[in-house]
Amino acid sequence: MNDADLSGKLPQMLPRLWSFALRISGDPHDAEDLVQRACLRALERQHQLRPDTSPLSWMFSIIQSIWINEIRARSVRSRSSMEWDDNFLDTVADPSAQTPESEVMNRQIVRAVEQLPEAQRAVMLLVAVEGLTYSEAAEVLGVPMGTIMSRLARARQTLGSLFGAQEQRVQRALKS
Amino acid sequence: MDDTVLMAYVDGELPPREREEVEKQMAASPEVAERVALFEASRLPYCEAFAHQKLPPVPERLTKSIEAMTCAQTARPANRNPNKPVAHHDKQLPPSAPLRSRLRVAPAWVAVAFIAGAFFTGGVLRFAPGLSGAPSTLVGGNAAPWVQAVVGYQQLYSRETLAQPVADVESVVEATRREDGLAVRIPDLRGAGLTFKRVQRLRFQGRPLIQIAYLPEKGAPVALCIIKQVQPDQPIASQRVAEMNVVTWRQSELAYALVSNSSDVDLTALGKQISDRSINALFGKAETSPYVLSAR
Repeated sequence: MNDADLSGKLPQMLPRLWSFALRISGDPHDAEDLVQRACLRALERQHQLRPDTSPLSWMFSIIQSIWINEIRARSVRSRSSMEWDDNFLDTVADPSAQTPESEVMNRQIVRAVEQLPEAQRAVMLLVAVEGLTYSEAAEVLGVPMGTIMSRLARARQTLGSLFGAQEQRVQRALKS
Repeated sequence: MDDTVLMAYVDGELPPREREEVEKQMAASPEVAERVALFEASRLPYCEAFAHQKLPPVPERLTKSIEAMTCAQTARPANRNPNKPVAHHDKQLPPSAPLRSRLRVAPAWVAVAFIAGAFFTGGVLRFAPGLSGAPSTLVGGNAAPWVQAVVGYQQLYSRETLAQPVADVESVVEATRREDGLAVRIPDLRGAGLTFKRVQRLRFQGRPLIQIAYLPEKGAPVALCIIKQVQPDQPIASQRVAEMNVVTWRQSELAYALVSNSSDVDLTALGKQISDRSINALFGKAETSPYVLSAR
């Protein structure tokens, strides 16, 4: 990969870097800090990006690393609430009209993921939301693939217990 | 039965034989059946749910900053990267594992770097003027803008920053001479207790600026910065800029700044020695005068 590639891609990747940073940190100021630092660092180290690594995954790993090593400790934000919706819900009509039921469901899903312990939440964001493979997620977080899978399993057990009634679930599972 | 196998089963990722094995376990054990049920219930539209999440939009300031970082790259020829540090990795690490950056980062880093519009591309750190419109007196005082920029940059430095010296000094010096038009001689300051650590090619408003970094035996690093300024000579002057000691002078159309927040080093005396040309060089070509611009 030559120097021009990463530069050209960064502006395009910005919306996804921003939303990832927001979801990881839970705070717009921290997220801005994260993305700034990550882009600088990526440009400094772009000679280290291997041709077989997706630039987006690589950026996620840089963001994650800066969050863990540099910003999280001094973040004063309380992690207990991430009420984006209350601030920005206002008046923008959502053109991709969700039904009221799916809107409620979606918000419940998002909230449930956000309340997972940090390590599990990171894996869910990478795999279930950003669509990375297990092995890509393992690279982003710098852990073995087995760790990704076990964190995911724990997350999904928690999420599964939040959604759906007990009896029905067991019946459904036995039948399928 | 391991949860990750049950999860793979629910996601349809198991081959037939292992599917059967799981189903046997489910029939035999309500506990396994329950865990499978939970995995089933966790098959939710996560991607879609998050796609509908209303997030604060990307801040304008961030967009501009990223654009500024990347626009400088487009005209550059590929791949001469003389500042690339020689990577000495543990044998266990793959060659592409990032060197641990020991740069100690203070919160002010972001303000300084991004208001000053600093970005590091292609082996060169560039300060772009007034990107966000913020006053350049952020770093403070009556110092010239280029001095403010190097002070801002020097504020980022700790001893750890220089712990891994750039190995290939000769090629940096050579690139500086050839591409930047500055024939740099790196002063040997060991007599003052300063060990040479690194030379970097920077850019200020598009003009080449050289930073030579030293470490005293203890305390903060000292930097000697040089930029071309076609103006009359100026004698040594010292000032405080943003809690750092700065000694400047101009000589033979080059402006110098010695920057440090170490109280152990007498920068003024050092500046006199360097400008008196009474100091030997560590690297660089032997010229008749210490710092000479090649014709460009």
